[in-house]
Amino acid sequence: MGRAMALCLFLFPALTGVEAYGQDAGAAFHKDLVDYYGSHLLLGILIAGIVLILYNLVRYRGRIEGPFSWGFLLTGVVALPLASTMFGMLLVFDKAEKVEFCGSCHAAMQAYVRDLTNTRSESLAALHFKNRFIPRNQCYVCHTSFGLFGTVQAKIAGMIDVGKYYTRTFRVPIQMREPYRSDDCLKCHAEAVRWVGRHENVKDALLTGETGCLLCHGKEHPAHILSE
Amino acid sequence: MSTQVTKKLASAWPGTRWWLVGAQILVLIALALGLPFLLHTTGGSLFLFSALAPLLVFVAIGIVLWVAIDSFRKRHSLFSLESYEPDQVIIRQGEPGDCAYFIQSGEVEVVQESDGNQVVLRILHAGDYFGEMALLSGQPRTASVRALTPTKVAVLGKQNFLTMLQMIPSTREDILTTVQERAMRSVRLSERSSKSSMR
Repeated sequence: MGRAMALCLFLFPALTGVEAYGQDAGAAFHKDLVDYYGSHLLLGILIAGIVLILYNLVRYRGRIEGPFSWGFLLTGVVALPLASTMFGMLLVFDKAEKVEFCGSCHAAMQAYVRDLTNTRSESLAALHFKNRFIPRNQCYVCHTSFGLFGTVQAKIAGMIDVGKYYTRTFRVPIQMREPYRSDDCLKCHAEAVRWVGRHENVKDALLTGETGCLLCHGKEHPAHILSE
Repeated sequence: MSTQVTKKLASAWPGTRWWLVGAQILVLIALALGLPFLLHTTGGSLFLFSALAPLLVFVAIGIVLWVAIDSFRKRHSLFSLESYEPDQVIIRQGEPGDCAYFIQSGEVEVVQESDGNQVVLRILHAGDYFGEMALLSGQPRTASVRALTPTKVAVLGKQNFLTMLQMIPSTREDILTTVQERAMRSVRLSERSSKSSMR
């Protein structure tokens, strides 16, 4: 039994394609260790838990016969599921930031993802993507506010979206909740030498919120150019 | 006193065994929800794994905790009183024994199941006791006990039962004699039923 568990924990993840989903294909310097090892560890825990519970159900059929059956029961029902929940939550936060994830939910978002990854597009999103101004998680970086609270707000909004999607309570056409906030541009661009040089006249107005980035860039360089 | 009965051992409250099976199935579902999340992360798979799976896990842990606490409480019970309605099963054949029962009022029947047949071994009344064989042998319950009338029993946990046998020699002799008689009667009944089935 112990050998089988060890096999599950260490060999099975290697035999599956989990690494293909654990990290974007690319060089080692783009490897997210939390995602890479977390995915492997979580898969090992899931497989070990499923094997242990099936063994418990077949061997003991719900009976408690001494310390071994208690041990198997507590490991299968308490320890491994709690571990999977803890590691799972780490990965949930990590995986929910990926572009593929954002595009997986709403059919309406596919056009935005296509524009983002289109190397011929000149939209702001595509420029940021193809030039690697933002190396990873491009949707997430542009659409969440700076810092921890930005992440929490994004998660709450995302869960509301998922709830609306599966209860079919969303309204079409899909629209942003609120106009795009200049703060989400400025969190990266503000005080950059190139930005300061080009925005000398409006710098103070932008930083105080009197004017917004999209007043100029929305028409001239739209964030997304949608062909359909 | 051997009577073939067709009535199934009915109880509104399933035994702890089925609660544990249920808890393990809940965890199995929760763990299985993790696989689509890992292999193909979408909004749906992430929602199910991050919202539904923890809920299932916590319900399952609650069930196991409840069973563990109940088992511990029974094991260390010191004549706590329990009431049973007619037809309610008090102990089930095959389950581990962690306490003995002393009938305060009412009537119960001891039913043994073998080869699909249920045989009533004996009827017990106020002043009788049952459940002691599993405590002495360490084996699972050899028969089920079902209330025939509204019944009150005093429950004595295994540890306290064994302590009582050590401390009061006369009780030990009385109980060991009863166990011996019941075991011999069970053997005779099983021999008789196997002979009749061979015919």
